[in-house]
Amino acid sequence: MSLLVTALAATSALTLAACGSSATTASGGSKPNGNPNSGTIVWWASPITTTQPDPRTVLINAFEKVHPNIKVHLQSAPNNTDTNRASLVTTISGGSASPDVFMGDVIWPAEFGAHQLAVPLSKYLKSSYWGTFAPGLVKGATFKGQIYGAPFFEDQGFLYYRKDLLRKEHLSVPKTWEQLESDAVTLKNKGLVKYGYVWQGASYEGLTCNFMEYLGSAGGSVLNSSLTKATVDSPAGQKALNFMRSLITSGASPSAVTTFQEPEAMSAFATGQAAFLRNWDYGFSYANTASSPSKVVGKVGVAPLPSFPGQPYPGTSNIGGWNLYINPHSKNVAADLTFIKWMTSPAAQTILATKFSEIPTVQSVRSSEAVVRVNPVLATVPHTRLIPRPAQTPQYPKVSQAIFQNVNSVLAGSSSPTSALSTASNSINSAVSNSGL
Amino acid sequence: MTTGTTTTGVVRPAPSRPGREDVFRRQLARLGWGFTAPSLILIGAVTIFPILFSVIMSLSNVNVTGSGFQLSGVTGSNYSILIHSDLWRYALTFTIVYTVITVAVEVALGTLIALVLERLTVGRGWMMALLLIPWSMITVINATLWGYIYNPTYGVLDDILSHLGLGTPVVLGTPLPAIIALMVADIWKTTPFVAIIVLAGLVMLPQDLYEAAEVDGANGWRTFWRITFPLLRPTIALAVLFRVLQAFGLFDLPFVLTNGGPGHSTTSLAILGYNTMFANFDFGPGAAVATSTAVLVLIGCLVFLRVFRAQVGREG
Repeated sequence: MSLLVTALAATSALTLAACGSSATTASGGSKPNGNPNSGTIVWWASPITTTQPDPRTVLINAFEKVHPNIKVHLQSAPNNTDTNRASLVTTISGGSASPDVFMGDVIWPAEFGAHQLAVPLSKYLKSSYWGTFAPGLVKGATFKGQIYGAPFFEDQGFLYYRKDLLRKEHLSVPKTWEQLESDAVTLKNKGLVKYGYVWQGASYEGLTCNFMEYLGSAGGSVLNSSLTKATVDSPAGQKALNFMRSLITSGASPSAVTTFQEPEAMSAFATGQAAFLRNWDYGFSYANTASSPSKVVGKVGVAPLPSFPGQPYPGTSNIGGWNLYINPHSKNVAADLTFIKWMTSPAAQTILATKFSEIPTVQSVRSSEAVVRVNPVLATVPHTRLIPRPAQTPQYPKVSQAIFQNVNSVLAGSSSPTSALSTASNSINSAVSNSGL
Repeated sequence: MTTGTTTTGVVRPAPSRPGREDVFRRQLARLGWGFTAPSLILIGAVTIFPILFSVIMSLSNVNVTGSGFQLSGVTGSNYSILIHSDLWRYALTFTIVYTVITVAVEVALGTLIALVLERLTVGRGWMMALLLIPWSMITVINATLWGYIYNPTYGVLDDILSHLGLGTPVVLGTPLPAIIALMVADIWKTTPFVAIIVLAGLVMLPQDLYEAAEVDGANGWRTFWRITFPLLRPTIALAVLFRVLQAFGLFDLPFVLTNGGPGHSTTSLAILGYNTMFANFDFGPGAAVATSTAVLVLIGCLVFLRVFRAQVGREG
C-alpha cells in the first residue's frame, strides 16, 4: 500500500514539477500554520537510551504539563539510523503529514535540506533562539544558509576505562593510542579481562565515526574544504588504518570487533569482559546502572580519546547527536515549534543532562555547576577536541559508505590499507561529483 | 465472488433460441469484466504501475523531494553508471554464484529428503510438519536466530569451534565464511520447500513402471536414474524455477546478518538497489539496478524453461 501512496505522490509530483520551487530566505519572520497552543503532534524518535524510564516519555509528560492543550504521541523509530532515515524519506516524500516532528541525526541537514524533506526552521525562529546553543551546533544544522534542525542533544566519542584494573596494574589513563593498545594487551594477557579494547568496527555508519577519530588524531581529513575532492588517501589515512588493523593483529581488540556496533561493544564492557571501550556519552550511565545490566557499576572512568604521539592531546572525538526537525507536510507547524522550543529549553535540557547523562545542547545548561556535578561525562566535555563527519555535502551517505566498507575490509584483513584507501578515495570522488553508485 | 456465481447460475439455463446465445455470452462477459474490474484496477495500480514507473525512473534523471519524485529528460546514464560500477559487477557476480550454489544444494538435498519421506510409513505427517518449520518462519526472524548462532562473542558456533580447538573465526566478519554462513541459513530454510514439491511429484509417479523395473531386475540406483529422475524432471524444474526467482532477490539474510559486509562481500543486487535508493536517495540508478535485475532473472528463467522444454520433448 505504501508503494501505491508513493507512486501516487510521485505522479502528482510529476505534474507539479513544472511549477518549480519558490524558496524564501526570510529569517525568523514567517508565520507558521496552525495554533501554537493546541493540537496533536506525532513525534518520531528512536530510543535515546535502553535504560528505564524512557527519556522520551519523561520529556513528553513534562511538556504536556506545561502545555496541556497540546497532545504528543510518540512514534518509536528504528534504532538503526539508516533504516530510520529510509523510513522517513519514503514517508515524507510520499506526502504524509505524520510524523509532525522527527528526531534526526546531526548528519542529515544537508541531505534533508537539499531534498526539501525538512522545514527550514530559521524561517520561523529568530537568531536570539539560535544563540542559546553551544557553539558549532547550529552551524552543523545549517545547509545553504538555512537552519534545518534544532539541536536536541549532543554526542561525542569518549574513552571509558576500568578504574579498578588500571589501579591494580599501576597504569595511568592512556594518552596515546599506542599506550592504549599496549595497556589493553597487558590487561588481557594477565587474564584480568577477556578483551582489551572494544569499539565499533562493523560495516555501518558507526565505523565512519570511529575512523574519523583516528584520522583526525593523525591530522588527516576525508574531503577538502570545498567538499569537492577526497583527501583521505594520505599519510594520515595510512597511519589511522594501519593502527586500527594493528589493534586486532596485536590482540588488543578481538577480531570480533569487525562485527560490533554500539550494543555489542557496550555489552562486552558492561559485563566486565573488556578493559577499555570507545562509546558515546550514554556509555557512562549505562555502565553505572546495575539494571542495564552492568557488572562494572562504580568501576568506570571516562576520559577524552587518546591521540598519536607528536599530535596534540586529546585525540579528536567525533560529533554525533540528534536534532529536531519538522515534516514539511505537518498540519500544525505552530504547535510543532512550541514543542521544539520547549524540548530545547533549559527545563528539558536539564532533565536530559541530569537524569540520562546526555550532553545538553543549550550553553547555559551545559555550564551549570549543578548539572556538571551529577554528570561526569559533561565534566570531560570541555577537554575534548571535536571532529565532524564531512556531512555538509548532500552526498554524505555515499561518502560514508565508501569509508566504512573499505575500512571494514582492512579490519577483516581482506584488503591492505593502501588499496582500501585508494578505492575509498575513488568512490568518494565519484560520490561528490555524483557520478557513481 | 459469490454473487457472481449465483447470477451466472440464474442466467445460464435461460437461452433456448439460437442467436440469443451470443447476446447472453456478451452480457455474461460484460458482467464478468464488471466483477473483476475492481481487482484488476487494484492489481494494475499496485503491480503494473509501480513496475512501469520503475522502468521510467531508470531511464530518467530522478530527484526526490519533499513532495514526491521529479523526473526530467530521457537518459541512459543510470545504466551506464551501473555498467561502469565495480560494485554492481561484484553484486551481479555474487548474486549469480549465490543463486547457483544454494539452488543446486537445495535441490540435491530436497530430492534426497523427499525420497526418504516417500518411503516413510510411520510418522510421515510429523516429519513433514517438522520439516516445514524452517520454511514457515519469517526470514528476518530466521536471520536473527542465525545471528545468535554466528555471534562472535556469545554465539553457539563460536563456542563449539573453540571447544573443538578450531579457534574462534569471526564468521560474519570475514568475507568467505560470511558468504558460506548466509548460504547455510538459506539452505536450511528452503530445502524443505524443495522437498515438499518433489515429494508431491513422487507420489504422483505411476507405480506400474516400478513394478516392471523390479520384474526386469533393476536395482535401486538404476531405477532412480532411469525412472524416478526422468519422470521427476518437470517437478524438479518447477522447484528450481521458484527457487531461482527467490534466491536472485536475496535481501533479508544479508540485510539482517551482514548489512552487505564485510566490506561489500555480501552485497547482493537487492541490497545494492536498496542502498542506492533508500540510503543514497539515488532513485534513478537504484531503479536501474531493480529493472536490470528483473530483466536478467526473467531472461534466465526463459532460457531455463526453453532448455527444459526441449528435454521434455526428448523424453516424450
